[in-house]
Amino acid sequence: MGELAVSNRVGDELVAIGLGSCIGLAMIDRDAGVAGLAHVVLPESQGKPGPAPKFADLAVPDMIGKMVAAGANKRRLEALMIGGARMFSVGASMDIGSRNADAVRSALRDAGIRLKTEEVGGNRGRTARIIIGSDVSSQLAGGERTSLMSLTAGLGSVGKREAAKAV
Amino acid sequence: MTTRYTDMQLDALRELANIASGTAATSLSQMLGKDVDLNVPKAFALPLADAVDATGNPEELVTGVALALEGDLEGVVLLLVKAQGAATLCGLLGVEPNTEVGDSAMGEIGNILGAAYLMALSAMTGLTLLPSTPFVVTDMLGSIVASVLAETVGHGDTALVLDSELDITGEPCAISFLLLPNAGGVNDLLAPLGLSEATA
Repeated sequence: MGELAVSNRVGDELVAIGLGSCIGLAMIDRDAGVAGLAHVVLPESQGKPGPAPKFADLAVPDMIGKMVAAGANKRRLEALMIGGARMFSVGASMDIGSRNADAVRSALRDAGIRLKTEEVGGNRGRTARIIIGSDVSSQLAGGERTSLMSLTAGLGSVGKREAAKAV
Repeated sequence: MTTRYTDMQLDALRELANIASGTAATSLSQMLGKDVDLNVPKAFALPLADAVDATGNPEELVTGVALALEGDLEGVVLLLVKAQGAATLCGLLGVEPNTEVGDSAMGEIGNILGAAYLMALSAMTGLTLLPSTPFVVTDMLGSIVASVLAETVGHGDTALVLDSELDITGEPCAISFLLLPNAGGVNDLLAPLGLSEATA
């Protein structure tokens, strides 16, 4: 919860297991072969301390910076979001899941990042997984992985060169 | 910047959990007509990033029964039972697991254990503790615990978890009984015991 990982190594796996109301925010530069995954817990920081990836409003700019530092080009960045469910549908509880999803959408819009796919809402938990050089997928509890974006076909010359270097 | 608790405060919270879950174990034992073992409870204060893993394997499929607390202490009481344990409990009560009736029976177990636990906690602290209607969900442990923590800890930096385990003797059934106070709720538990507030 509130963590962020970025990698540009082919074969690396970034996973957020058991996302309920939280959001797994993925950012990808397919050409450069750079991917990141943040585990967003709440919509807004409201000036409170905490790791940036915990809050949608801070997670997006923080992630862009780390993606660029790992070799991504901001103009090529694409985002996906997974999670934002409502696990407990009764009680006084606010629907944090949908507020999280709204906040991520708006933070991405402000930053000018395209949101390619979203797998959000409902009342079941999901696991978000990025395998660099393979795909981005979402998986319901006890279910199969659903591939949301391929990271093989889109791997451009930059990524291939870096992959070759890594070997 | 992390909220810290002293060993004495954590010991006191562990003792509260021990007595309260002892009362819950007795009522579970009476309900099922079986002996129930109570493990020494754990009290831990962790950053959010580590809190879910401390309660179990985040990928494990579990049935969770959540009771939101109102009154003098805000927070959530959460019972977690692995799939096999839930099937065992439902079997002992003569209902099918993962059906409407099974979920309702699990909710009722949560109600009874939660009420016993909270009554003991209330007697020790003088706090008025009001549980809501139980909500039952079967999903990944991580999805359930993280969603509860997002609400209870919210903008706070530290998750305080009181974790007791009840085992039904001779049956493959363990119930994790968690008390997750809201960010400000920990002091409400500690203050009646005369233990100073958590320091930031």
